[in-house]
Amino acid sequence: MKEYSLGETLVILLLMGALSMISNTMSSKVGIMEAIPGMLILIAICMAGIALGKYMPGHIPGVAYVVTLGCILTYPGFPGSDIINFYMKKVGFVALCTVILAYAGVSIGKDMEAFKHTGWRIMILSCVIFMGTYLGSAIIAQVILKLIGQI
Amino acid sequence: MKNIKLHILVAIMIAIAEVIGVKSFKIGPGKVVLLPMLYALILGVLTTPSFLKITKQKDMEDAGSLIGLTLMLLMARYGTLVGPTLPKIISSSPALILQEFGNLGTVLLGVPLAVALGLKRETIGAAHSVAREPNVALIGERFGLDSPEGRGVMGVYISGTVFGTIFVGLMASFLAGLGIFHPYALAMAAGVGSASMMTAAVGSLSVIYPELADQMAAFGAASNMLSGLDGLYMSIWLALPMTEFLYKKCCILKYGHVLTKEEEQ
Repeated sequence: MKEYSLGETLVILLLMGALSMISNTMSSKVGIMEAIPGMLILIAICMAGIALGKYMPGHIPGVAYVVTLGCILTYPGFPGSDIINFYMKKVGFVALCTVILAYAGVSIGKDMEAFKHTGWRIMILSCVIFMGTYLGSAIIAQVILKLIGQI
Repeated sequence: MKNIKLHILVAIMIAIAEVIGVKSFKIGPGKVVLLPMLYALILGVLTTPSFLKITKQKDMEDAGSLIGLTLMLLMARYGTLVGPTLPKIISSSPALILQEFGNLGTVLLGVPLAVALGLKRETIGAAHSVAREPNVALIGERFGLDSPEGRGVMGVYISGTVFGTIFVGLMASFLAGLGIFHPYALAMAAGVGSASMMTAAVGSLSVIYPELADQMAAFGAASNMLSGLDGLYMSIWLALPMTEFLYKKCCILKYGHVLTKEEEQ
C-alpha cells in the first residue's frame, strides 16, 4: 500500500468523510449538519490510530489502533462515551462502505482482464466456496448461541 | 489523491446509487436485498476501460491506492459499534470463537466440487479458503503463484474481488428470508475476513431486521477481526492439510487412484 504523510492522510480522510456524507444524508433521515460531528470524531480516531501505528514501537498496524481506540472511547462508562455514542448513531456504517466500494469498483478495472481469463469452473467454485464458509459459520454460531442461551 | 476527476466521478456514482436506493424482492423461499453500495461497486466497474472507458489506468491505480485509507473510517466506525456492546460480545464469545471453524466448510464443499469439475492441483489453492490477501500470500510462499495451486488461489481471489461482495450480500439476505438462522448467527458468519463483504452482508440483514442493526454490525465486526487474526493459522494448520487429504480421497473416488505428478500436469 502507498504510504501517505499525516498531512495527506488528513486531507484524504476529510475528502472521504465528505463523500460519505452524501451517502449518509441521502440514505437516512439524519441531516448533514447533525452527522458532521460524528464524522469528525471518526476522522480524529483514524488520525490518532494511524499516527500511533507510525510512531509507536512494535510495528502494530494503524488499523489495530483505530479499532481499539473506537472501542475504548465508546465503552459504556468511559468518560464522554455517551456523547460519542450519541454522535456515532448519526453516521451509518453502510454509508461508509458505499464510498469504499465506489473506489473499489474503479480499481477492480485493473483485474477485469485477469477475470475474463478466469475459467467458468473457478467462478462456480468461488460461489460454492463463499457459501461453504458462510453456511459453516452460521450453523456453528446458531448452535452455540442456542446452547449458551443468547438467542 | 489530487485526481479531482476521480473524486467527482465517485461523488456522482454515490449519488446515483443512493437515488436508486435499497431494493428488496422475494426469490422462492428467501428474500434478496440490493444495497446502494452494490450499485456503487457496479457503477465503478462500468466506468473502467473494459466497459464505458470513462476512467483510465491512472484513475484505477489512484482509486486502488485510496482504498486502504477509506477502509480506516469504516474500521473506526466498527470500533465504535463494538465498544458499546462489548459486554454482550464477551458473553457471546464462545459462539464467536467456535464459528471461526465454520470457515472449514469451504474445504468440505469446495474440494469435492473442484475435483468433480475436473480441477487438479488448482483445487488446493482454490478450495482451502475464501482466498483473501493473506491466503494468496500463503499459497504464493508455499507453491509459488505461477504453480497450479497459485492459479487456483488467484482465480478465487479475483472472482471474490469482482463479485464476492455482491454474492455474500445476496446470500445473507436470502438465508435470512429462510428463517432457519437467528440474525445474530448470520451476522457472525458474515465476518469472513473481508470488511466490504461483511458490511454487504450485515447491511442487507439490517434492512430485514432494522431494530437489530447495531448489534449485528458489532457481531459481524468482531467476527471479521477474529478472522483476520486466526485466518492464516487456521489455513496453515487445519484447512491446507484437510484440503490435501480430501483432494486425495476425492481423486480416488473420481479417477480410482491418487493422481501421479504426470497426471496432474
